[in-house]
Amino acid sequence: MDTPDNTSVENGELYGVLAEFDTPGALIKAARKVRDAGYTEFDCYSPFPVHGIDEAMGIKRTILPLLIFGGGITGLLGGCLLQWYCNASAWHWNVSGKPLWTFPITPNNVPIAFECTILLSVFTSFFGMWILNKLPQVWHPFFRLDRFAKVTDDGFFLGIEAKDKRFDLAETRRLLESAGALEVEDCNLDPDPETRRMPIWLYGFIIVSTVFALVPFALIYRARASHSKEPHYHIFSDMDFQAKVKSDTAFDMFPDGRANRGEIPGTVARGWLEDDSAYWRGLTQDQGGEWITNFPAQVQITPELMKRGQQRFNIYCAPCHGYDGRGDGMIPQRVRKAGAGALLPRNLIDPKTGVITMPNGQVFNTISNGYNTMMGYSAQIPAQDRWAIVAYVRALERAQNAAQGDVPADKWNEINGATP
Amino acid sequence: MSATATATLHPDEKFKAGKAGQSLFRLGLVGFIIFIAASLIFSTSAASHYTAEDLKAAPTLSASGMGRFFYAYLIGWSWILSIALGSLLFVLIHHAVKAKWSVTTRRLAEILSSTILWIGVAGLVFVIPVLAGNKDIYYWAHPDAHFPGAPGKSGWLSPAAWAARYAFYFIIWIAIAKWFEAKSRKMDEIGDVAEEGHTKTLSARMRWLSYPMIVVYALSVNYAGYDFLMGTAPKWFSTIYSVNFFGGCMMAAYASISLFAWMLQRSGRLTRSVNAEHYQDLGKMLFAFTFFWTYTAFSQFMLIWYANVPEETVFYNYRMFSEWSTVSWILLFCQFAIPFTFLLSRWTKRILPVFVAFCIWQMLFHWVDLYWNVMPHYHWGADIHGSAVSVTGPLSGPVDNNTISFNPVDVTAWLAMLFFFVAAVGRGMRGNLIPIKDPNLGASLAHENY
Repeated sequence: MDTPDNTSVENGELYGVLAEFDTPGALIKAARKVRDAGYTEFDCYSPFPVHGIDEAMGIKRTILPLLIFGGGITGLLGGCLLQWYCNASAWHWNVSGKPLWTFPITPNNVPIAFECTILLSVFTSFFGMWILNKLPQVWHPFFRLDRFAKVTDDGFFLGIEAKDKRFDLAETRRLLESAGALEVEDCNLDPDPETRRMPIWLYGFIIVSTVFALVPFALIYRARASHSKEPHYHIFSDMDFQAKVKSDTAFDMFPDGRANRGEIPGTVARGWLEDDSAYWRGLTQDQGGEWITNFPAQVQITPELMKRGQQRFNIYCAPCHGYDGRGDGMIPQRVRKAGAGALLPRNLIDPKTGVITMPNGQVFNTISNGYNTMMGYSAQIPAQDRWAIVAYVRALERAQNAAQGDVPADKWNEINGATP
Repeated sequence: MSATATATLHPDEKFKAGKAGQSLFRLGLVGFIIFIAASLIFSTSAASHYTAEDLKAAPTLSASGMGRFFYAYLIGWSWILSIALGSLLFVLIHHAVKAKWSVTTRRLAEILSSTILWIGVAGLVFVIPVLAGNKDIYYWAHPDAHFPGAPGKSGWLSPAAWAARYAFYFIIWIAIAKWFEAKSRKMDEIGDVAEEGHTKTLSARMRWLSYPMIVVYALSVNYAGYDFLMGTAPKWFSTIYSVNFFGGCMMAAYASISLFAWMLQRSGRLTRSVNAEHYQDLGKMLFAFTFFWTYTAFSQFMLIWYANVPEETVFYNYRMFSEWSTVSWILLFCQFAIPFTFLLSRWTKRILPVFVAFCIWQMLFHWVDLYWNVMPHYHWGADIHGSAVSVTGPLSGPVDNNTISFNPVDVTAWLAMLFFFVAAVGRGMRGNLIPIKDPNLGASLAHENY
């Protein structure tokens, strides 16, 4: 501030008087005196919070805690509502079979409800504090007084506004002087009301920045469930276009113009040794062959193989097809319970539609490469085990479609004895 | 930043313990003897670890109700231990953060934390039997106990190792508590200056030692929680268990310091130095740790509920689907929902009768919390096949068998421990009840909440 000559500044209407005090204690005493004299339109200014000033000025306790409580409750209910709507109402979201919603809240919904409570409480306290303190305040009439700059350093001020009902210039000045003020100064507003108005560029800034802040949301809204014919923006182009060549593409660096470098002499690629089409693919011959109806020569049907087949079946097949092969494993049971209309697993042992109608080679092929929504298991199950499963499925069909005559007479009595 | 208001001790303030300590000691001793005798009498009629059918099928199982006495004693003992441990951290944190508001109540916390010596002695009532081969207190001491999923547990939970850790924890706690109390009392004599042979002032030395001691404290309380309380269900797993116990300790400490201050004020002492401002701050911390306790208790519950691993859910299975479910609900409402809602407000912490009522309430339900944590492990299952009997321990067998089986010894053993604690506090109550030469005493006396 380099306008020390106050008289050269044009003055308008009287805003109020400003008194400076030496210590926080003096300020508190003065505030109490001003309050007792019946003034209400006054405020204290100090470089740091002064203990007891609220009480001295007669300021009522803030309602902020109540607002925060309201914010917290809103967050709690909002968090519950959000989760109820998203996971239990609009879209049933089954996680580990936990209940979708139990009144008043399911344990797995507590953390989100808790976080929402905290979030809204903190927002209310932060923004509520600003609003209740009338912040941000970028301009104040007292800024016109040079002395007021001391308030950020070592000055303690009390200002009374002229609009107070009890305000009387001479009387008020006397009161402040008797309260121990070092100096009392009048403060006039600038005669030009334009200076008190918020600068027009500030409005512009607020509007422009608000609009800019909405741009991402607008883009998200526009891109919502839409298709675009334009290519992507490549933000990380070195990730999208990497300095490498893919197989079977043209590449000028090598004389033959190919990226492929051919096989290294003496190596065999995976799967090249699987010449035996019966064992590896279940076909009589690779080109134009039929499904084989028996088992390949490498597969000897022994009790060990059947046991192995049963064990592998119970691991890989039973979850969908069920232990008895009737297509009623745990997964279709849950799918049905959830009301989803997925393609259900086949009943393997049905005499008309089951795999009983298929040749062995086709069953093997289905296990290897999948069928409809069933995926292939050649990666998980070695060929020998796949043949063991085929053998076990055959046994399962036989057992599940057995007639009374299939049971030896002595065993039949045993069964009858067990279940009279 | 802010200008610090200070005040001086009022000349008429009574801050000497006087003879109050001796009368408290006598009262405590008489109460302890009466209630311990009552507990021993009641425990003769208490149920044993096993159900009546199991006892009938396998006469080799012990039918003695003495185990009930030890369980009730352990719960009451943990209750007073939690007060002392919480007060110990109150002192450490006070020094670590150079707290000002809590100076006038710090000596009370020092007195409460120094009772740890006598609590260590009281614990011998169950430590010595465990060492001597009693297998009815902790299931891990039973010859049938084995830990298939966690073989390391059997080494950790053996009587000798367990008792060695008991001694180790108490040596640490007694050393911390006594050192900080001694230096604080030294300051009463010579003021906040350097002792002979030292360059740092007393408050600086206490502050510098408080930092590492907080770490030592945290680790020791953590493992103590596993050993003393979680040890009653040795097959179960939970790493947050002791954090929950620690939350209870802090809650108990803030409530107890408030009650201690209130009772001293009723006797005409400290009437001017501890006022609504200090009670409000103690209440804020009580509120905070009430929530902390809930937070950790719920964290433990939710993760176990969500993961649904049988080794872990067993703890809640026997508390949610047996008679104990009532106690579980009582705990949720009385230890959390009700105090949380009421302690939120400012006035409940500033109007002394209301605040004191909440402190008593929280102490009461802190005991219910410990009871709920330990007593459901009292029922032990047994696999009986003819003469082959294998005790499967707590949290096994039919859930319906896990009844509360309340016996008066549960309460009398707790009251015995309460009176024991009163006697121990009486022993420690001497000299000044306020650190009269603490450099921050003035700030504490003039303390004010915005």
